[in-house]
Order: sequence, then structure tokens, then C-alpha cells
Amino acid sequence: MELFTNDIIDTQNLPKLESIPFTALNSKYGIVIACNLALIIGVLTGGLFVLAELEPDVFSNRIWFIIGVLTPLSLLLIVCFAIIGFKKKGFAFREHDVVYRSGIIATNTIVIPYNRVQHVALHEGFVSRFLGLAKVQVFTAGGSASDIEIPGIEKEQAENIKQLLMGKIQKQL
Amino acid sequence: MRTDFSQPQRQSAVGIWVLFFYTLQQYARAFWPIFLVFFFRLKNFYLGYIFGVIGLFLVLIALISYLKYRNFTFYLDEENQEFIINEGILNKTKTAIQLNKIQQVNINQSFIQKIIGVYELQVDTAGSNKKEGNIKAISQQLALDLKACLLENEGKERILGQNEPGTAAEFESNTTITPFIKISFFSLLKVGITSNYQRTIALLVLFFSTVFESLSKLSDQETGYEQDFGAYFDYSQGLKAIIMGFFMVLVAVLLLNIIRVFVQFFNFNIAKQKGSLLLSYGLLNSKSTIVKPEKVQITTVTQNYFQRKWGILDIRIKQATGGAEEQRKSAIEIPGCDPTERDAIFQLLFSKLPEKGIEFIPNYRKLVFGLFIAVVIPVALFFGLANTFFPEIMEYVGWVPFYVVLMIVLQYFKFKNYRLYIHPEFIIKTSGAWDVSEAIILPQKIQAITTSQLFWHKKADIGSVILHTAGGNISFQLANYTVLKEHINRWLYELETSNSNWM
Repeated sequence: MELFTNDIIDTQNLPKLESIPFTALNSKYGIVIACNLALIIGVLTGGLFVLAELEPDVFSNRIWFIIGVLTPLSLLLIVCFAIIGFKKKGFAFREHDVVYRSGIIATNTIVIPYNRVQHVALHEGFVSRFLGLAKVQVFTAGGSASDIEIPGIEKEQAENIKQLLMGKIQKQL
Repeated sequence: MRTDFSQPQRQSAVGIWVLFFYTLQQYARAFWPIFLVFFFRLKNFYLGYIFGVIGLFLVLIALISYLKYRNFTFYLDEENQEFIINEGILNKTKTAIQLNKIQQVNINQSFIQKIIGVYELQVDTAGSNKKEGNIKAISQQLALDLKACLLENEGKERILGQNEPGTAAEFESNTTITPFIKISFFSLLKVGITSNYQRTIALLVLFFSTVFESLSKLSDQETGYEQDFGAYFDYSQGLKAIIMGFFMVLVAVLLLNIIRVFVQFFNFNIAKQKGSLLLSYGLLNSKSTIVKPEKVQITTVTQNYFQRKWGILDIRIKQATGGAEEQRKSAIEIPGCDPTERDAIFQLLFSKLPEKGIEFIPNYRKLVFGLFIAVVIPVALFFGLANTFFPEIMEYVGWVPFYVVLMIVLQYFKFKNYRLYIHPEFIIKTSGAWDVSEAIILPQKIQAITTSQLFWHKKADIGSVILHTAGGNISFQLANYTVLKEHINRWLYELETSNSNWM
């Protein structure tokens, strides 16, 4: 039998969640976000322009003016949020768990211990594939709210992460 | 001969048809409004054009389903003991499932699959609601082989575990076991009288508003000389009618409640068997369920003021199941227990009685926010609408003070009962204004932890936590963030240093 110990844990000296150095997402992922934004902005403004050309009588001039002012403002806001959101996303693979931080207004930090991971998926978006990026999704039994999705990781690193997670799951059994 | 699954392979070639129909269904569902508009616009064009468009659409779908087929491969990675599925045309997904995490492998056949003669294979792991791996078109032989391969790597005990009694038939053979708790007729009566007040109140409000409206219409019609007398006459009669109506509705609602409780829970027996709880209940069709302590995720005890006076309470148990969808969503309910019965059930589930540890009180902002949502916004909305679009609702202004007082009281109690208790072995969250519930989880059942903090709450040092379990989440908002994080670090430490079983 192993030597059994049952010392008091010093809760003050446990590894602290708040002092983790988070790894930022790959800067190339910024291009993916920019592409998505360009698509959204393109479709929105394009749609408005087409509408303005073909059926200018749908709205009165005053409303067109309001739309003309509000659209650029809201698009600017979307872009700002996207940039802040990108900057605030970060992840960390600790010895025993994976931590992901995200959020613009609220900072959300989600932790999954490796021994609670159910399975892992790798996603490669169309644009991401050209840049050699992938998204790692970690599933637990706790439903969709408790899954972690880490975008913007280099393909090779993502494969390694997947292997690491699978290895960790394996080891605990 | 066993098929070799270690090489990536595609689905059955005829399966393209299945994919074709599924894709068609999917796209038709997504695009039908566009098609509709298109056809109405093109009424005057000649028919060939329309057929051309339909043809093009079908060819496109066929191409998509062919590409889907080409890009969908699955294989068994013997070395890493994983089942891997690759899919996607433009956006590619690779799903890797550890073989020993697989709970169930289902082989199904839908109508389309039956016509084409292929089967669907679904791989299911614990917890989450959706099926993790889904192969849409596979021959029966291959499906059976793959199922055998996927499950053979599983520990023997797991396979045995799936066949443990859980069905009604098996349970019946064990009915000789004497129940250790029997919810009496009288307890169920109490439950029927005291539960479901929200529905009762809603019905009463509905009733009152209609009576009030018809009364005010009546008095509007009385004009001229006899107005005073008429109004008085109607008023006293109306009052009688209201009181009569009130009691009638109350009695009706109570009766309905009692009948509902009896039909659902009549003859509620709880028996012990090999450390599990066997529940059987029901008047018309009796149901039986098994509660295994190790599978229990969240246990909730609910009690309102009357139930506390009468010494009864309601227990809801959420288990992690690998079973049917509906089974996952609904909690198992044990109505009308008394405190000693509750303790006996807890003893069995937790092998000790839950204790409340350190108390967390939410920040006062929780109350302020609750009042803002429940009082300020609706009242502002009321006056805003009354002054602009619907001046006629000003008639009901007399109800506003009642509403405000009621909401303030409710919000106050909601805040007062909103607490989190952290004990080394239990986490208990209490909540609710009228029906006060106590959700109990064991720290080792936690699957993941989310912490959240709004940026303007940094200075105040308050934040929220969500504890994810396989039976749902427990969240607590606006607690002292520093202390909360200390506990989160401890939970993580405990989860990661032990291999505690969560199901």
C-alpha cells in the first residue's frame, strides 16, 4: 500500500486561476475575423445600396438620412467589438486543465479539467484553411454551455493539442 | 470476417442518395421563401425557365451531396483508441471520440434510409444532448461490425452497467422489496393544495380582469338620472359576484391541482435496492424509475410557506443518463416528503446529510437590478404607452401601486433567499421568492466552471460563477469575487488530483 497522507491543503497557495498567463490567439486569425467582417459589412451596405437604387421610395428621405448616419456608426461599433473581442480572447493549457478566456463587456473564464473532457473536435473554416489555422473544440458532459472553442490555432499546434487532450484522457484511466 | 476499420473509409456509395435527400430537405427548408418570391415574380415567363432553375438547383444539391459523401470518412485509430470522423466540404471538422467514453451506439433506419436500404449509426457519449458521431448511410453488416468494434474496447463492467435493471419489467420482478418510504394519501392532498401557485394566481388575475372589465362596461352604460342608484345596485351585486367567483375559481384550481397530483403521483413508493432508490408511482399508468446515487447530479428541495407549515417538501433529482432525450430533460420528482423522509433519501444519495457551509450573500446590486427589471421598466413602459399610443390603458392606473408593492415584496424575498453555501463536501444554492428551492450538488460532479465579471464590477470585486454538471448548471451571480475564486481554485484542485466518479 502506498504511503497514505492526508495533509491540510493550504488553500491560499493553490494554483490561482487569476494569475494564469494567457496565450493570445494567432495574429493570423485577425485576417479570418476581417474576412467575416468584410462579408457582413459588404452584404449589409450592398443590400442597402441596391435597395436605394431600385426602390428609393420604400423609406422617406428623412429615414434614408437616419439610415445613412446610423449604418456607418453601427458598423464601426461592430468592428470595434470584433477587435476588442479578438484581443481579449486567450487560452492556457495547464498541467491538469484547459482555460479559455473571452468576452467584451464581461470577462468570461471557463475551465475544463482534463479528466472531465469527453471528446475533441477540430474545425477548419474555409478562410482558416488557407491560413493554416484550425479551431479546437473541447466537449464535456456538461452540455453546450460548458464546451470550449478555441479558434485561431495553427493546424499543427491544434493537432498537438488534440493529441495532448486525448493523451490526458487516456492517462487518467 | 471482421471488417478492418483502421483505414479511413467512406459511407456506402448508395448512401449518396440518402445524403441527397437530406441535403435537399435542408436546403429546401432554408430557401423556400426565396423560391416562393422567385416564382411569383416569374409568373409570366415560360415554363422551361422554371424547370431550368429547378434542374439547376437539383444538380447543385447532387453535387453538394456527392462532395459531402467524398469528404466524409471515419476510422478507428487503434493506437490512440479513438474513433475519428472527418467531414465537411469547405469547413472541415474532425471529431475524435475516445472509445472508452462511448456510452451507446445506436443503429437506426429512417424512412428514406429504409427505401435505399442503408442504416444510420449514432455514437453517443455521456452528458450532452446531441449525438456526437453520426454516420448517415452505412450497410447493416458494416454498422453491426462497427458497433461491435466500438463497444468491444469498453470495459466489461460498462457493458454490464447498461443492462442493469432500469426498465419497468425488471422492476416488477423486484416488487417484493418492502418500500421504506410511502407518500401517504394525506401528503399528496397537501401537495395538491399547496403547489402550483403561480398557475393559480395567473388564472385568478385573468378572472379578475375579465370581471372588472365587464363591470366597468356595465357601469358605463348606466347614464342619466338613475346613475347613482344603478351604480350602487350593480356595485353591491358585482361585489357579491366577485367574491363568489373568487371562491369558485379558487376551489376549481385547487381541485384541478389535487386531481393532477393524484393522477401523477398516486401510490408513491420508494424502496431501497443495492444502494439505489426504486420509485414507483402513478394512478392510471404506473411508472417506475431507478435513482442511482452515483448518477445523481443535482438534487433540489423545494418548499413554500404553506408547505413549511405543513411539514412537506418536494425533491427533484437530476441524473446523468445515457437514455432517451426526454428522460434527460425531466427531473425525477418526489412530492410530499416530510423532513425525516428527506433525510433518509439524502442519507442514501450522499451517505450523509448535506451541510451548509460558508454563506455567500449577493451584492446589493442584485436587488437593485431585480427591482429595475421588475418594477422600473414595466411601470415606465406603462406610463410611456399610456401617454403616447394607448391613452385608454390609463384606466388601469389604480393597479400600478398594487403591482409595485407586490413586485417589491417579491424581489425582496427573492434577494433574501438568493444564497450560495459552500461546504467542503457540498455546494448548496438557495433561490426563489415564494417557492424556495435548495439545489444541492457535490463538488466532484462538476464538469467545468465558468467565471464571469462585468468590467465595471472589477472595482467592486463582485462576479458570477456557473458550475456545469451533467445534469444542468448552477449559477450564482454578484458574489465576492476574490473569495469565490479561492473556492474555485480549491474545487479545481480537488477535481484534478482525484479520479472521483461523477457517474
